Amino acid sequence: MRSKLLALGVLAASGIAMARAPAQAQPAAPSQITIGELYASSGPYASISMPVYNAFKMWVDETNAKGGVQMQAFGNKRIPIKLIAYDDQSSTATAATLYNQLITQDHVDLLIADSGSVLTSVGVPIAREHKQFLFDVSGTGAAFFSDDNPYIALMADPVSTIWPHYISDYLNDEGYKEGIRTVAILYSTNDFTGTQAAALKGFFERDKKVKVVYYQGVPTNTSNYTVLINNIAAQNPDAVLELGYVGNDIAFLRNLQDSGNQFRFVFTIYGGTEKEEIEKNVGVSAVANTFSYVPASNYEYKPEIGMTQTEFRAAWEKKYPSGSGVAFGANAIYGYMTGLVIQRTLETTKSLDQMAIHDAVFALSGKLKTLDGTFELRKDGAQIGEVTPLGQLQPAGKDDLKLVAVYPPDLANGKAVLGK
Amino acid sequence: MHSSRTRRAILDAAIATSVVAVMGIARGVYSNELMLFNFIMFLTLSQGLNIIYGFTGYLPFGYVGFFGAGAYGFALAVMHLHLPAFAAMVCAGLAALVLSVILLPLLRLSGAYFAIASMAAAQALYEVIANPDLENVTKGPYGVSLSGVFAPAASYYLALAILAVTLMLVVWLRNSRFGMSLQAIRDDSVSASMAGISVVRGRTVAWTLSAVIAGLVGGVFAWHISVFYPDTAFDLSVSIFATVFLLFGGATTLVGPLLGVFILYGVYNVIGIAVPQYFQFTYGALIVLLVLFLPNGLVSLLTSRGIRVP
Repeated sequence: MRSKLLALGVLAASGIAMARAPAQAQPAAPSQITIGELYASSGPYASISMPVYNAFKMWVDETNAKGGVQMQAFGNKRIPIKLIAYDDQSSTATAATLYNQLITQDHVDLLIADSGSVLTSVGVPIAREHKQFLFDVSGTGAAFFSDDNPYIALMADPVSTIWPHYISDYLNDEGYKEGIRTVAILYSTNDFTGTQAAALKGFFERDKKVKVVYYQGVPTNTSNYTVLINNIAAQNPDAVLELGYVGNDIAFLRNLQDSGNQFRFVFTIYGGTEKEEIEKNVGVSAVANTFSYVPASNYEYKPEIGMTQTEFRAAWEKKYPSGSGVAFGANAIYGYMTGLVIQRTLETTKSLDQMAIHDAVFALSGKLKTLDGTFELRKDGAQIGEVTPLGQLQPAGKDDLKLVAVYPPDLANGKAVLGK
Repeated sequence: MHSSRTRRAILDAAIATSVVAVMGIARGVYSNELMLFNFIMFLTLSQGLNIIYGFTGYLPFGYVGFFGAGAYGFALAVMHLHLPAFAAMVCAGLAALVLSVILLPLLRLSGAYFAIASMAAAQALYEVIANPDLENVTKGPYGVSLSGVFAPAASYYLALAILAVTLMLVVWLRNSRFGMSLQAIRDDSVSASMAGISVVRGRTVAWTLSAVIAGLVGGVFAWHISVFYPDTAFDLSVSIFATVFLLFGGATTLVGPLLGVFILYGVYNVIGIAVPQYFQFTYGALIVLLVLFLPNGLVSLLTSRGIRVP
């Protein structure tokens, strides 16, 4: 009886060992890595979505030209990338269905959100429900990030509250010395710009130097700012901060020029962030001497992976020459930079399991330096590594402007010139 | 005579039951749940619109106003009253009901005037909800996050239950004296009134029923999607889609709106995923062809030959 039991035990042990053996061996490498992405070819978010999509495709082409991504998890074998991309046409309802399609029907290995907070918002709960890690390119909505959701990380834009602090620091510091005492804040009521406006108001109220004399939110689809500019002028502020998307900034700058009103300090987000698009639509004179953020498309960081800004710009202009419809700007950098994060993630991940992807992405935090600056994540997945220096679009020759970083002093490469 | 009406009612109920069963089974077969949910949503909305347009002739372009009111009724109940999702659904229906009562005077208008006035009312409500000064109440334009009650399976089956009730309501309207009286009002309100039908009562009941259905759908949508902006809840394309599906299939019938949703929303999803660049062209061409050759909807292919369509 005892010998029978012993034999059974040996048999069971050998069975377990045999069952375990294949699990310990290196898993078979997939023939390709599928990446799902949404983009908007039309509608209000096309101007921020298409540069991201085109730049990401550039990274895919560049990677596949080398044979794919070299993955440690599969014996350093190069595995090509297959991109599955759907057009959500700037509709959240369509985007929600397409996020589901990518996860449940296409079974993508990696999922990339469309640009901006609105089109990312519907993807956040869907990705979480399906335990699929979401590469959030530029959706900065504060509600997306929480400690109990490990399935998201913000790639390129810092969270909205980080963006504007150099504006208030500059106005409270150097601006105050130059006589700036009052400020008007006009913002589009969406997650991205509304959060920045609220943060700015808080900074000014906290520091008690520059006084907010006008604070007004307007719908994001506002296309005529004439009355609003006259209302602002009635308050006679020294500085005017207009926070909107590309379309808002174009309308504001056009209307400001037409109105003849002049302020000592005028700020828009996209004057510098999407400099070429804005110049093309409002003309050089309307945007000259205004202030804006200095994005990576106008600032030369030293990357440790991928192309430099100058190299990337040259590659972009070769692939998408002037007049092709998609202008070079910060969003193009974001798209390419997302590709670089994915590249390093795939190179180092232990498997394609979504929590392994999460671990690999977070392991890059603070260590990855791209043409977009340092990639650094907060514990909840929000991006905190990038900085947004304050810049001014200063004349550089005939019909040309140069975006000069003017604040903070350690990042500045020029000096601000305030209006009279 | 009486038994033939009963047979028709049984046939209608059988079709309604089959649709609900198919959508229930589909969840176990096809995993893009949100797409199926959207089908249920539009099946219900087009039938809700059928009640007010098909049976009384009023076409509210601003139907999405009730949908948005329901979505925000649900969201406010969850955020501020901390109600469980099923209880918050009651608030969704109530929000739409209250809005429909406020908008009752619109029924004094007719035709294009009514359609445009209802759209203006929906837009006004959107502006109130999205007002940044109401951020503490509605979250303003910054959107609502209801991740605490997020339950896709429960909300899917609740949406299915709402569809079932709505379809049965349409079956009842098609086979009841009240439904007949509504159609009489639609065809000639003066004659109907002379025949002793209460025109005001009939229109009021149809209007509020239609609104409550949209409100409940809005509520279950808010529950299912859990993160949304005012632009999403008051998106005019919700009204447009529901209207197009209803007109494509054929109003006043049970089957017409069902066909409209299954065919057009099916095509929408196939094209939208496979060849989005041809989406607007194909969809536009389909609608132009319909308006030119079948102005009373697909079902008119049969009804024009004297065949009764459920």
